[in-house]
Amino acid sequence: MDHDTREMLLDTAGRFFAERCGKDIVNGVEKGVWPADFWKEIEEMGLPLTAVPEDKGGVGGTIADLMAVLRLAGANAVPVPLAETALANLLVAAAGGTPGPGPATIVLGNLSVDNGRLSGKVDRVPFASVADRFVAVANSGGKVVVAVVDKANAKVTAAPSHAGEPYGTVAFDKAACAFSGASAVSAERALELAALARAMQMAGAADKVLATTVEYSKQRVQFGRSISTFQAIQHMLAELASCVAATIASAEAASRDADEGGLTDGGSFSIAAAKTQASDFAQRICAISHQSMGAMGFTHEHILHHYTRRLWVWRRDFGSESFWGEKIGAAVAKAGPQALWPALTSSRYAA
Amino acid sequence: MSIPKLEFPPFHLPPEAEALRGEVRQFLKETLPGLKSEDRFSSWNTRSSDFSKALGKRGWIGITWPKQYGGSERSFLDRYVVTEELLGNGAPAGAHWVADRQSGPLLLRFGSEEQRQAILPKITAGECYFSIGMSEPDSGSDLASVRTRAEPVPGGFRVNGTKVWTSGAHHNHYCITLVRTSGQHGDRHKGLSQLLVDLKTPGVTIRPIINLAGRHDWNEVTFSDCFIPEECLIGNEGDGWLQVTSELAFERSGPERFMQNFHVLRELVRVLGRQPAGRATSILGRIVARLWTLRQMSVAVAGMMQGGKSPAIEAALVKDLGTIYQQDLPEIARVLAESDATTEDDMADFLDVAQYATMMAPSYTIQGGTTQVLRGIVARGLGLR
Repeated sequence: MDHDTREMLLDTAGRFFAERCGKDIVNGVEKGVWPADFWKEIEEMGLPLTAVPEDKGGVGGTIADLMAVLRLAGANAVPVPLAETALANLLVAAAGGTPGPGPATIVLGNLSVDNGRLSGKVDRVPFASVADRFVAVANSGGKVVVAVVDKANAKVTAAPSHAGEPYGTVAFDKAACAFSGASAVSAERALELAALARAMQMAGAADKVLATTVEYSKQRVQFGRSISTFQAIQHMLAELASCVAATIASAEAASRDADEGGLTDGGSFSIAAAKTQASDFAQRICAISHQSMGAMGFTHEHILHHYTRRLWVWRRDFGSESFWGEKIGAAVAKAGPQALWPALTSSRYAA
Repeated sequence: MSIPKLEFPPFHLPPEAEALRGEVRQFLKETLPGLKSEDRFSSWNTRSSDFSKALGKRGWIGITWPKQYGGSERSFLDRYVVTEELLGNGAPAGAHWVADRQSGPLLLRFGSEEQRQAILPKITAGECYFSIGMSEPDSGSDLASVRTRAEPVPGGFRVNGTKVWTSGAHHNHYCITLVRTSGQHGDRHKGLSQLLVDLKTPGVTIRPIINLAGRHDWNEVTFSDCFIPEECLIGNEGDGWLQVTSELAFERSGPERFMQNFHVLRELVRVLGRQPAGRATSILGRIVARLWTLRQMSVAVAGMMQGGKSPAIEAALVKDLGTIYQQDLPEIARVLAESDATTEDDMADFLDVAQYATMMAPSYTIQGGTTQVLRGIVARGLGLR
């Protein structure tokens, strides 16, 4: 989509999230209340179809457009499977299918399709308990397929995440597929796209943590002055800003590279680096913000934990810093010392 | 909530800059092996005037400056690529580094036509080197408290005072020196000026200050009734603070703030071998991801500067993150190598490299603005002060 359309979309989505995704909705999801109206509005805005081509009933945006929306979702702790559904729709459309309505999630792992039926089990599937359908990237006789299974044909064992989102284990036992088609992307690539989505959500959440903490420090008065005037606090917040800026910068660079390089393999290295970086910095970001906000930020009443708990969970989703770090490290080691600098300057795994 | 956005919009170096990268790599491939290396930990503080002259011949020093002064009138982004290639390949670029990075640009911006014509062509030829005359025994982070005094006398100034941590003064030709030309010590930013001082001037005494690693990089430079002609005043008398601040922006924003000990990372890759254990592999990848991120941020800052912005806060932030990364690197590398290096020989050699890098590490977060000064700048950017 062109620059103006995109700015308009982001402006609208940003305001919508800020107005509608309040504390009640986020806390409600944690108590098991599905925000049906909120989800309906998200669908009416077409957000789950952001990166689906227009001829498939989508908005026709790019990967970068979708990722920019997800950064905003992260900045508002949007507690519904927008990232998962949007990626599921993208994968289904790219495999020749037509995206359906309702919340969905993606299932990536050791899965296989035989005779049109899906089998396998995957842990920690985000929003497993609230998804109407599961979109799996599976192996079918050596080929990669995208398979869609309705929730009636899947066995879900709820295991909410530590951020209170309805994650769970999903098992398929020769489950009937509502759709199955040759995947446009490899299973590894599907994981990369999911990791990129999380990195952008983390960038949004990190930004919100910084804004919340800075604002609090200006208003909180101790020893007769706002704590933001203490040098100790200023230096902590400056470090926080550095970690947040690095998280945002790496995620945005990866989003650009993914977009420019195309759906099947764009920005492969950058995504791995960005998810590693976001996951690595998450702890420092959470630690500094909590230290700055004292007991207040440790309460359930305050919103800070909506973001810090998500950062702690998201850093593990779709590959932690150890997982992606190992991928980068293995490639760097294999290519040897002389290939390191050229790989860094081209943002690619050395050939 | 309204806090200033600290964004680093992803930026692509343009095709002509990438084409230049290829030329620089080829040049380094041909030039570096022939140089006698005095120092295996090559970086921007390793000097070789032969190398600087060869680089100057290619037009890659003062690359952005006007052709009339020996420059190549290329973009700031071309300069970025040359700089990072020198660092990434361990070129001994220390002799001309400061002149290219900040002294030349300062003269271009504030210097007289006479000064530019006399000095800049020599810098671009790789023959003229500069020191930075800012810090004093009682003025480090608090630069505005400098005491070195330049008293106006007929035809010039009589300078008395002492500068310290003056890197390379025992080799270099000039030192751009921050002095007080009027007012009192307590006047802070007022009454400061910058002088172009020829280090051979009578009354200038240069004594070594040896650093903890036993190296002689630093000097103490003393001025005793030293006469500096008035044509050596840079810019206007009393504008020294403004000028020195612009100079510091050049000093802080470059890739040398995270590429200074890149050789440690490259050596680590070598000793870990082609197939390290899983844990070592993942830690290696995390370091590489951190460096990649720093480079993305630094390139973004370069893009902002090329676009006419002055991203002082962003530059401070990159230097803060970059120098701390540089400080962490030798430690992470040492621990990894001790558990995962492939051969004993490699280990001994690598531990030597890591040990040296560990000794140098404290300097990274001090030179060019301490961590604490930088965080003060970032805090101001956040609206906290």
